[in-house]
Amino acid sequence: MDVRITVLSRPQARSVTAFVMIGRCLTALVGGYAAAAGVASLTARLLPIARAEATGWGMIISFLIFAILGLWAFHQPRLTRVATVIWGLAALSIGACYLLGVRA
Amino acid sequence: MSKMATPTPEAKGLRQSMAWIHTWLGLLAGWILFAMFLTGTASYFRPEITQWMQPELRPATVSATQAAQTSVAYLQATSPDDEQWFIYLPDDRTAETRVFARPKPNPDAKATPTKRAAELKLDPATGVPLTARDTRGGEHFYRFHFQLQLPHPWGRWLAGLCAIFMLATSISGVITHKRIFVDFFTLRWGKGQRSWLDAHNVSAVLALPFHAMITYTGLITLVVMYMPWPIMANYQKPATFSAEAYGRDNEGEASGKAAPLAAIGPMMAAATREWQGGRPRTIIIRHPNDAAATVTLVQSGADQLNARSPSVTFSGASGARLSGSHRPGPAIATAGVMLGLHIGQYAGPVLRWTYFLLGLTGAAMVGTGLLLWTAKRRKPGTKPFFGFHIVERLNIATIACLPTGMAAYLLANRLIPVDISGRAGMEVSAMFWTWFGLATLSVMRPVARAWPEMLMVSAGAFAALPIVNMATTQRGFFASLMAGDGLFIAFDLVMVAMAALLGFGAWKAGQVKAKKAPTRRRAVSPSVQQQVREVVDAA
Repeated sequence: MDVRITVLSRPQARSVTAFVMIGRCLTALVGGYAAAAGVASLTARLLPIARAEATGWGMIISFLIFAILGLWAFHQPRLTRVATVIWGLAALSIGACYLLGVRA
Repeated sequence: MSKMATPTPEAKGLRQSMAWIHTWLGLLAGWILFAMFLTGTASYFRPEITQWMQPELRPATVSATQAAQTSVAYLQATSPDDEQWFIYLPDDRTAETRVFARPKPNPDAKATPTKRAAELKLDPATGVPLTARDTRGGEHFYRFHFQLQLPHPWGRWLAGLCAIFMLATSISGVITHKRIFVDFFTLRWGKGQRSWLDAHNVSAVLALPFHAMITYTGLITLVVMYMPWPIMANYQKPATFSAEAYGRDNEGEASGKAAPLAAIGPMMAAATREWQGGRPRTIIIRHPNDAAATVTLVQSGADQLNARSPSVTFSGASGARLSGSHRPGPAIATAGVMLGLHIGQYAGPVLRWTYFLLGLTGAAMVGTGLLLWTAKRRKPGTKPFFGFHIVERLNIATIACLPTGMAAYLLANRLIPVDISGRAGMEVSAMFWTWFGLATLSVMRPVARAWPEMLMVSAGAFAALPIVNMATTQRGFFASLMAGDGLFIAFDLVMVAMAALLGFGAWKAGQVKAKKAPTRRRAVSPSVQQQVREVVDAA
């Protein structure tokens, strides 16, 4: 992607950069939230303790996961890697929660 | 943005990327966070502000048991057939009993629902309703702190977004700040941008544990709204979670058989014994005067760190103990303690004032951060870009004008006629008209003048409070001094201290401009903002 930017004309390069930035912001904010919600929920679903307790721990850690994923989205230079990891994590964890279903 | 434009994998270190995101997250959320910090800090004195805003109320203090008995007698006399009674007993910080009654739902579904009766204040000694000026009191700052005066649920979502930005900004700030312990003691005054960075670092680092705690626990206060998904993963019905976590609510049906309500005094004594001296604060009576009536006593939040207070339920007919809340597990207890740490209800006077001062350092950290953004981008002799003007103006509108709005809310309480209808809403409007009015006015002034002028107006508004209070109530400073009325004395002193700090900042901002203006190429002096630091530190 970096290579491509160099061969584009200046306005074109600017619009690509803006596009990359918007994608990064959306991935951090929306994807980060989805991934945090998914990981927290999966933790709550899988922890082998009383479900109220597991739910409590899931909710408590969720914001830390969100913040760290969001920051990492702006640290990792490759947007493709950022998007793959964050959206992938969100899809996998949320999907796993759906497959497992509500705790009996 | 340019740093982000063409990032190469190797060129960007962790500290660099964190500095970048710290800057932009802080800028985006900064103004709202400043307002959240300031109003949240004031909310540590929520009951005290309410007391100050109803100066005509001076009920005598009586025992909690007597207050409970008089309020039950009042509710028996006025609405014995209600579905539910809520009684909030007075304590060290609230002088009146507050009661709220919920009538039985109308069996006719088509009838217009009965309007929610307002909460009443009762004299704890006699149970007679107290009449005082209509006001939202300290509740207004408290609600604004997390609802931002926006329609539900948008205010809470926006506050939550700013809080998660704050959390990410704190983490990235700590990573950026490599010399955290050296800069702990470093504050270089009068060095322009370097001083702003120092001021930002000192206010942030000194109170770092507090900032980290208050941000995370703030998110936890509304976690069920922000992050309900772990509940969804484990429960078919979310209500089951709260029942399991906090104990089941006794939502029994009325039997339809009448039975007189047992005396409340022995139940309160029994609850206190069960809690080893803990005091009941809230009484919830369901189906009063029914054979299936229940009386639930909730312990005072001032008694323990966990804000989820234990409760015990008695039969309203026999007075026998029916059930009590179970001890929460580690996770639920952790969440409860986080909630308690945030709202600080457990804190005694010394800790409460510490909370207040630390809250002010939070506002100072956000404020200096915002000023640092402009100080860093100001290049003498060049025309600043458009966004720079916006940030500069929003900084003035928030940091210099919001305090005046808060003072106007308190002034309006004393100046709006006591018995006029709708006055509580007018007090709230006074805050926002003053705040946004002054912000608009400040845009019409040159930046270098706007800072000292707006700060001077805010200093004047705070200085006016003790005077207006003395002129409009019987509880002026000297009368309070004679009466030993600690709350009113302290309130006046805090207002004077605020006025002094804001006035000092205004004076410094104006003085620096007068002194340095001839040596500068541009009319806008870069050092003006740097001299407002004292105010930002304080406000």
